[in-house]
Amino acid sequence: MTKINKLIRVLVLYFSTLLAVLYCNSPAWSQEVPVNSIRVGFYDVFYHATATDLSGPFVPAGVNLQVKDVKTIYVAYVRRLTPDWDFEFAFGVPPKTDTVGKGPATLGSVPYDGQVISSAKWFAPTVLFNYNLLDETHKWRPYIGVGVNYTTFYDRRSTPAGDAASGGATKISLSRSIGPAADVGLSYKPSANWGIFASYSATRVNSHLTANTAGIIRTSTIKFRPQALVVSVGYSF
Amino acid sequence: MSNFYRHISLALIAMLLGACSSSSTTTSTANTSTTQGTAEYDPPLRVASANATDFAALLNQSPAGGQLLDLMKAGLQTQTPIKCGVDIYYLTFWTVGGAGEKTKSSGALMVPSGGTGCSGPRPVVLYAHGTLFNKATNLADINNPDNQTGALIATMYASQGYIVVAPNYAGYDISTLGYHPYLNAAQESAEMIDALTAARAVLPHTYSSATSDNGQLFLAGYSEGGYVAMATEQVLEASGKKVTASAPMSGPYALEAFGDAIFFGQVNIGSTLFTPLLTTSYQKAYGDIYSSVSDVYSPTYAAGIETLLPNAHASNEDAAISDLFTTGKLPQTALFNSTTPVTGNTTLDTQLAVPSNPMDPRTPIFAAGFGTSYLVNNSFRLAYALDAAANPDGALPTPPPGAPLAAAVPTNTMRKALYMNDMRHIYGATLPAAPNLLCGGENDPTVFFLNTMIMVNYWSMAPHGLITPLDVDPANGPSGPFAAVQGAFQLTAQDNLNKLVQSGLTLQQAQQTLIQSYHGAVAPFCTLASLFFFNQALSQMP
Repeated sequence: MTKINKLIRVLVLYFSTLLAVLYCNSPAWSQEVPVNSIRVGFYDVFYHATATDLSGPFVPAGVNLQVKDVKTIYVAYVRRLTPDWDFEFAFGVPPKTDTVGKGPATLGSVPYDGQVISSAKWFAPTVLFNYNLLDETHKWRPYIGVGVNYTTFYDRRSTPAGDAASGGATKISLSRSIGPAADVGLSYKPSANWGIFASYSATRVNSHLTANTAGIIRTSTIKFRPQALVVSVGYSF
Repeated sequence: MSNFYRHISLALIAMLLGACSSSSTTTSTANTSTTQGTAEYDPPLRVASANATDFAALLNQSPAGGQLLDLMKAGLQTQTPIKCGVDIYYLTFWTVGGAGEKTKSSGALMVPSGGTGCSGPRPVVLYAHGTLFNKATNLADINNPDNQTGALIATMYASQGYIVVAPNYAGYDISTLGYHPYLNAAQESAEMIDALTAARAVLPHTYSSATSDNGQLFLAGYSEGGYVAMATEQVLEASGKKVTASAPMSGPYALEAFGDAIFFGQVNIGSTLFTPLLTTSYQKAYGDIYSSVSDVYSPTYAAGIETLLPNAHASNEDAAISDLFTTGKLPQTALFNSTTPVTGNTTLDTQLAVPSNPMDPRTPIFAAGFGTSYLVNNSFRLAYALDAAANPDGALPTPPPGAPLAAAVPTNTMRKALYMNDMRHIYGATLPAAPNLLCGGENDPTVFFLNTMIMVNYWSMAPHGLITPLDVDPANGPSGPFAAVQGAFQLTAQDNLNKLVQSGLTLQQAQQTLIQSYHGAVAPFCTLASLFFFNQALSQMP
């Protein structure tokens, strides 16, 4: 917890400082065109997750996991750096993601395949530097961006079905992840203050899952390759 | 605008801290107490859960499981012998080592489930397993094909409506004790009772709370476990606890007599594995077996022998044994030096000589216990033999009624340790209070049936029906109430012999092959007999 807090403090401080510097160094054109935007929209996340077979004591061969796709609310703060470059800080309202058993239909007589065995909420802020094509006079502007994603999991819970498959009340941990992110999008700005945005983004998230049931530790490494469709509305000021 | 950034930062901090402070689900309670008989986790991990149909299907997935199922079908005379579902829990609990060292041990709690006769108040079988050489032994690991004992007791007892508690023993699995208190009656009986205490405490909190302990307690065990079961009954009854019935099977109960027989040349199969386990156990408990391991062992094998067993470096039970032979850490059969001690005492020298009686079919097995690359020094052997010759065990060579121990406590420390742990010494003038079925096979080359006969004769004055000996391999053929079990054993043995001959072995080679696995082959048949014995005891309960 202490390490996480330290990391969070460092990240927040870093981005706050970065934004403050950018604000203080805003060029003259920033006085004419709104430089700050808030965007709100809709996130449709496809995980494309793969996991290693669960390993540890008393685990039969071939016990695996899959992760259900989610939909959530997209929120972002966007800072116009230049007429072509944006800085975007995006995050979704943390979605509850279900992990589903994959493998044998039953473990003994306990249902496994297809059962929702655990859930976790994600907080996955992403910073992106987007390059907008065409010039600012165009209402329609495509853009591409690259950046960094930070993902942490909380409210990790084993479901009753998961507990039954694991053999008892189970405590789950998922390690946090930092990985690259990229997006492509299209903006439509009918006015100086309002815009509509659609983008397709991809990130890489690797997390080490640890399940503790009565002192017995089972592990798996889950490789998420989240890809998200985002449609949002933005207000600039 | 500066306020705007501050608000963003504060909002982020609040959100992220909120994320970090959220809790996970509660898990099983980890007990902080290390008192003997305390379960480490309450409830314990459920390793597996299967209803009767699925359990039978799981058994059928392996040849060994299929054979077990066939034996149950024949024994219970039904095509659906699996009566109950079985939930298997991994129990870890606190106990003590051979010198009172605090240690964790582990084991299996197997709970029947289902309808009538499978849930509600049910009897407990407290089971002690036979000697195993792989430190990773875990009877709860039911999905492991190497865990044949776990499958045996789950099938024979749990699937028949008995709650089973079976420790893995200190020195195995997660136990950090650096040795196993092998055939240490006080430690092994205490550990059995600790496992039972822990299992009884956690059972109501498990998924199997619909099944409860009805207070009826059965004891069973095979080989080392037969010995442990017998020792446990004595301790329980001495403390006023009631045992419903007990089935010690193929155990080395009469340790002094058994030891004397071996030291006088009747070397049993497996002796080079049993000897380090036993010697280390008694050295750790009593501290007087040797000053240095070289007092006991030949220089070829002495180094590191105290930590050799149970084998912590093997992937399975077979490898745990064969690795020690192939890496030269133990000789395969040569317990003693083939150049035997010469004392000038003709009788003693003859007793110590390599067995050569052509009229005794056991001679090749005994003689294989001698070699030039041997385990035990002549000096150690001779010191023991001199004590045995001067103060002989009263049950040898053939146990008379009463089958007495040596007249005086032996002075040789190894022999004294065997004497002190001999069941005749442990029971003294008392009898088991519960009916006992003492099952074994009369041709057992590993744990001689002599042990069973000595205890039967030691308790020859017991009331009729209290002590029931059972030989599953009688020379005169099946007879009596367990004739079906005897018949099944002998038929199976004949089938196996025929198969070996058909595979190209000579009859003699086939017989030699079978005798090597005789001790293990008896186990399922005696266990089936114990089930009948327990069922009968239950049916006679008011």
